[in-house]
Amino acid sequence: MRSLLTQASRRITRFGRKGCETVEALGRAGTFLAQAGIGVPSSEGFSLWLRQMHFVGVLSLAIVLVSGLFIGMVLALQGYTILVDFGAEQALGQMVALSLLRELAPVVAALLFAGRAGSALTAEIGLMKATEQLTSMEMIGVDPLKRVVAPRLWAGFVALPILTVGFSVVGIYGGYLVGVEWLGVFEGSYWSNMQASVSFIVDVGNGMIKSLVFALVVTWIAVFQGYDLVPTSEGISRATTRTVVYSSLAVLGLDFVLTAVMFGGL
Amino acid sequence: MTPAPFIEIDNLHFSRGDHDIFRGVNLRIPHGQVTAIMGPSGTGKTTLLKLIGGQLTPDRGRVLIDGQDVHRLSRKALFTLRKRMGMLFQSGALFSDLNVFENVAFPLRVHTDLPDAMIRDLVLMKLQAVGLRGARNLTPAELSGGMARRVALARAIALDPELVLYDEPFVGQDPISMGVLVQLIKRLNEALALTSVVVSHDIKETLSIADYLYLIADGQVVSEGTPDTFDNSEDPRVSQFVHGQPDGPVPFHYPAPGFYSDMLGQSHAKRTG
Repeated sequence: MRSLLTQASRRITRFGRKGCETVEALGRAGTFLAQAGIGVPSSEGFSLWLRQMHFVGVLSLAIVLVSGLFIGMVLALQGYTILVDFGAEQALGQMVALSLLRELAPVVAALLFAGRAGSALTAEIGLMKATEQLTSMEMIGVDPLKRVVAPRLWAGFVALPILTVGFSVVGIYGGYLVGVEWLGVFEGSYWSNMQASVSFIVDVGNGMIKSLVFALVVTWIAVFQGYDLVPTSEGISRATTRTVVYSSLAVLGLDFVLTAVMFGGL
Repeated sequence: MTPAPFIEIDNLHFSRGDHDIFRGVNLRIPHGQVTAIMGPSGTGKTTLLKLIGGQLTPDRGRVLIDGQDVHRLSRKALFTLRKRMGMLFQSGALFSDLNVFENVAFPLRVHTDLPDAMIRDLVLMKLQAVGLRGARNLTPAELSGGMARRVALARAIALDPELVLYDEPFVGQDPISMGVLVQLIKRLNEALALTSVVVSHDIKETLSIADYLYLIADGQVVSEGTPDTFDNSEDPRVSQFVHGQPDGPVPFHYPAPGFYSDMLGQSHAKRTG
């Protein structure tokens, strides 16, 4: 009886400690974001940011665009086989464009971004921490939050929405290739149905808002995991994994919430 | 006349988990001298430098640098104070995305508005001092450990700081560069009126340059004095360390249960049982 009680109390203690640690980590992540993200832009900061835009944005372009092309092509192919049963294959353009703009482009681009750029950010910052580069920067009197973290944070925040636009554009073109060029949907109806049904504010705008939210969350998770990790090889590998897992879950979960808020009432 | 202390450490306590690293350390580090902090591995010498630099916060006690309490400064004031310090890390800690020249130029570029030509001259002067002017275009990955440490030294003194903290500067140096480094630390200290803190366990080199030494063991300062008094000390703890004897009051072993019971206790019982 007594051992059962001590066991139960130990479990409650452990649960409480875990809870405290989680809240503490969230607090650390919050102050981290505030300290790194808020600051006066300088010309030097701009060139650091531009450099990170290259690493985070330009180098992710290939994987994002190729995926966008394939997703658009698959959408058109799958959509056509269903729509044609109802004689509604003219609506293919509308279907492809709405699926991409509202849902697939922000989500899939964010997932790819987490895998391609997020994990790299975590590993890079983590290795800088493990080799004491961040500490030595602090001792030189330069704040690594401003010098190392801030340019990466802002680069990710700006790059992902741009990549998402590229994803949508290429995806719609992929849908055109399959639907019009291959399956023979009338080109005029592909484009004009799309033009008639896509609202710039509701569809493009909400898609972009989603993408901005995902960009913030994914980049935040990536740089924080890198900055906060245990500086060993095992710590780096764990943090890189956590970046991909946490950001994927956060993107998918937030996507549901945002979709419910944006389109739930339509 | 004794110079006024530049760094004052009062009753410093620090622990990691359940392991006490410092239990009431008191140090006075005077202006313009080379002060050495010695002790066996694992006594927290590097931790002490990190406490002085304000990267770690003590559990109790305080560290005053030039009258300022390091751990009570705002982040901004701390970074301003750090501009007056240089620290040489054990691993060098060079920025891996910059070459040797840019590593040394880094503090100058971020803290001064000097024109490029002057930065170039200053960097080459510092690199000349550590004998690596020819290596300016190499990346940190192409340097040996000893060379990386010398580049890091050039970077640490780039801004002509008032205080330089050396973390094990002699480890992994060949005899020639060791001699050069010893000379360099001594000369820098005299020429620039620096205050130097050297953490090391290389007795011969440290005794040759230090003005004053502290020996730390078991979380406390066990002895202090000038190199002469250290060399001839009667204190068994000091002479054990200075003469490198395995047996004495300073334990060689990390705290552990008895060797016999460790070897024959549990595992033996498991195997037979």
